[in-house]
Amino acid sequence: MTEILLQNLDLLIFLVLLALGYTAGSMAEKRHYRSIHEREMELIKLPVVTAEGRFPPGKVKESFMVSGNAVISIDYFKRLLAILRNIFGGRVKSYESLVDRARREAILRMKEEAKARGGGMVLNLRLETSTIGRSANQKKQVGSVEALAYGTAVVFNRK
Amino acid sequence: MKFTPRQLEGNVNVSKGHPLAELGWMIGGLLLVVLLVYLLLGFGADYLAERMPVSFETRLGIAADEAFPGDDDTDLQERLDALLALVPKNSPLHQYSFRVLRSPIPEVNAIALPGGTIVVFAGLLDKVESENELAMVLAHELGHFAHRDHLKKLGRGLGLTALSLVLFGQDSAVTDMVSRAFITFDSGYSRKQESAADSFGLKLLVARYGHAGGSTDFFARMSQEAGSKTAYLLASHPHPESRIDALQRMIEQAGYGEKAVEPLLIKLHPEGINGIQ
Repeated sequence: MTEILLQNLDLLIFLVLLALGYTAGSMAEKRHYRSIHEREMELIKLPVVTAEGRFPPGKVKESFMVSGNAVISIDYFKRLLAILRNIFGGRVKSYESLVDRARREAILRMKEEAKARGGGMVLNLRLETSTIGRSANQKKQVGSVEALAYGTAVVFNRK
Repeated sequence: MKFTPRQLEGNVNVSKGHPLAELGWMIGGLLLVVLLVYLLLGFGADYLAERMPVSFETRLGIAADEAFPGDDDTDLQERLDALLALVPKNSPLHQYSFRVLRSPIPEVNAIALPGGTIVVFAGLLDKVESENELAMVLAHELGHFAHRDHLKKLGRGLGLTALSLVLFGQDSAVTDMVSRAFITFDSGYSRKQESAADSFGLKLLVARYGHAGGSTDFFARMSQEAGSKTAYLLASHPHPESRIDALQRMIEQAGYGEKAVEPLLIKLHPEGINGIQ
């Protein structure tokens, strides 16, 4: 028994990493989504728009740039699903949640910064994404997705 | 109108469906594809083996030779060439350039490798006691080449190796890996193939010596060690006794007759074993 295991050590390591990737990855994802939901509810009163803002004179006290970014890593299990998807084609479902989480987390961090500095609104939101760890689908490469959200926070004069 | 922010229900950016279900579907699909390819290659292998040109086979053989290191043996080579000269001129066997290697492995066996290499193991040479027996062994292996058994045996792996050779070339790592994984030589020929090779060998032996003497001696000696026939039900080779029976029948039908065998003219046995120092 032990002999068979040792002979197929590569396979064993692969299966362990796969199981680890699945359990740890889905646990992390669930927890992250819960946190995202909670914080989104907390910050729901702080509007973020992609439009440029025009305000009557005297309305705006101060404006400054706010930004937030987040890096989310793929795990072994998600990578395997994506590799199999490369064979069959179709939506890479396993990566969709990564991009979604990275984007929402980045916006949340940006909003948190805006709120901390007294902002009442974020204008001109822009989003950027990039990959960290080039050629993420290649062997022995685990990649991450980075999302950067930035915009102009506006502090209003209270009258 | 007053703006009331609201949290969206659900998530349009992430597709629904359990990841494990997705994995199951895709792995299932992949297995199905592999199975189909494997089955197709199984049907294709025999077809391919019959029609593969000898020049292409020689290219396959280079990888095979490395798996069975042995020394060129001029004595054995001479005997093989003598047999080969008796094969009809139009036989595809003449397209091969045969090599006989002598391997130190103590197994009682000889194998035909793609590309025209015959490896004779030391264990077999140990047991051979006459020129006629040796000729029978070599003629038997030539029979495998004539019937292309050595290629059929490779079965499905042959199709993959040939494909990889065409796609990636002879020196690529992929071809090396595929041939290593699929060209295995420990699986024997089927009983039918062995019997056909025996019959080919017998004809060549008679052409060489004018009689069938010595054709069964080797198997007779083997059958004493082989044990009961039941153990051979699942074996790749026929039981030596069955081979002797079949050969005897052929000898009678063709009226070959048997005469005294020629003693060995070369020293085949490793030093020490026969008391020769």
